[in-house]
Amino acid sequence: MVLSVDERWDLIDKISKQTVTFGEYRHTLKDAIAEITVKPLTGIPIALAVLYGFWAFFGAVAGFFTDGFFVKLFGGTEGFTGWISWLGEQFPDKSGWLFYTLVGDPKVFAADYAGDICFEAGGVLTSGLFVAIGVVLPAIFAFYLFLIILEDSGYLPRLAVLIDTVLHKIGLHGFAVVPMILGLGCNVPAVAATRNLETKKERFMMMTLLAIFIPCGAQIGVMLEVIPEYVGWVMLYLFLGFFIFGFILNKIIPGRSPEMLLDVPPYRMPTVRNVSRKLWSRMRGFLTIAVPFVLLGVLLVNVLYLLGVIEWLANSFEPLLTGWFGVPKETVTPLITAFMRKDLAVAQLGAIEMSVAQLITSVVLVSLYFPCVATFAMIIKEGMQDRVKGVITFLIGSLLILLAVVFVWGGLIRWILPLLGVQ
Amino acid sequence: MGWSHPLDSSTFGGAIKMNMDKKYQIGKFYFAILGLIVLGFGIVELLLALTGGCIEHGPMIISDEEDFLLWRGLILFFAGAFYISSFKKFSDIHQQAKMLMASLMIWLIGGIAILGMILGSIPGPEDGAWFNTAEDFIASYVGPYIPSLLLLPFSLVAIYYVYLNKKTKIIINE
Repeated sequence: MVLSVDERWDLIDKISKQTVTFGEYRHTLKDAIAEITVKPLTGIPIALAVLYGFWAFFGAVAGFFTDGFFVKLFGGTEGFTGWISWLGEQFPDKSGWLFYTLVGDPKVFAADYAGDICFEAGGVLTSGLFVAIGVVLPAIFAFYLFLIILEDSGYLPRLAVLIDTVLHKIGLHGFAVVPMILGLGCNVPAVAATRNLETKKERFMMMTLLAIFIPCGAQIGVMLEVIPEYVGWVMLYLFLGFFIFGFILNKIIPGRSPEMLLDVPPYRMPTVRNVSRKLWSRMRGFLTIAVPFVLLGVLLVNVLYLLGVIEWLANSFEPLLTGWFGVPKETVTPLITAFMRKDLAVAQLGAIEMSVAQLITSVVLVSLYFPCVATFAMIIKEGMQDRVKGVITFLIGSLLILLAVVFVWGGLIRWILPLLGVQ
Repeated sequence: MGWSHPLDSSTFGGAIKMNMDKKYQIGKFYFAILGLIVLGFGIVELLLALTGGCIEHGPMIISDEEDFLLWRGLILFFAGAFYISSFKKFSDIHQQAKMLMASLMIWLIGGIAILGMILGSIPGPEDGAWFNTAEDFIASYVGPYIPSLLLLPFSLVAIYYVYLNKKTKIIINE
């Protein structure tokens, strides 16, 4: 049967009358909330509140597990010999290199030792396990739980729209907020998330800025343990650096930063099933990557220490560390550890005797000076997409920026802190 | 029987609408007053965070020694401003959204303060027992409290207005 044009239109009319309902669409409360969360005037205060919730939740939950239970489990408490002391007692030869490497410094196990045994023992099976399981794991759990709720509720894309204008000033666009926030959990998936960015310029900038200025959740977790009252200032300094150096990079790096077109999903109630599945998947991924690196990092540092390499490096870098950055030469050990694990490096800083200003400067230096090896490997892998020549140019560029940032931003804080009254 | 608009004041629907208008009128003033109080607390928190010091009055405490006082002060300040700005055309859906978001901002701060209290009350003290004793457990819930926690119950009225809003929508659609 062949239909004429008019007959076809009649048929379309009949079908649409039966299937389509016409009417006036009224804004729902959900629509109105969706609108005010992306308008800067109302959206920024809401974002401030959400980020406060993120941060406070992170501190409360991580602190509950670490201070409430893991410190006791590893360090011992009333009527209970902790794992570290028990291992120290049971280990046969307390003066050998194996004890030093696996259990830690024998002086920490003396009866009259008054320091923090969890961080200061320094062995692979003592401080290594404590940092990986007792500090990093609760921090990552709290971080991912809140992040997944934000993702599944539909708030993250709105945050991307909201922050788009600000990020355009540094040559990025709103999508860059995803790797930024992921980086606060772990820089490895954050580097992978830079694939969302369209141009080479954006990807290079984002990876470089991530590696330098965004501390991971594990590091923040340890910072909350070691310098709880100064974490806010350290974060503020790092974020300021992110935007200042982002602005400079945007001016000197050739390339374009296109506009963003984003389909924002409606707000939805996150389901327990989805949240728990995603949480498990991310925690598992983190555990398989992070725990071996923490243990390997402690092992490497202990071996280097026994071989005298650390002492040689400390003496060689003393003029730079004490002269320019104003930190003690012992900081060299954490700086080496930071290449394996930054969280562990911050934990080691807590065991070195120094002033508050020196401690803050050291923590900032650990954050700035080099990405951890897992992030570094991921950057190379992602850079490979632009072929080998591209990777070399990319790495040389990143390293030059890194050096400049460490010297300028790392050195500057030494002079800023006394002005703020921190000695 | 002739046709009449469901919200005509001469009908049953109209009576419901009048009743709702009254409720929105009450809500408008309630949230304006609450907004002023929240804004005031926000300003006090901001000032104390910048200048230092502590105010303890009855069950309430604002101290610069607490973490994130400046951040919390800013949030309360904006929450108060949202409440106040929802005064005009209070029953409008966009104004309702502002009122609800202001309440959500208070719930976020207050809710996490409650979570912190609960989590802090379970483990025993450092170098002490694994779990708190019953007395210490209860003692950790005794005040003084931060302003957001005290404002939280008053902000819960927003839930009633969300419900009322849903009801209004159903009546209009009918």
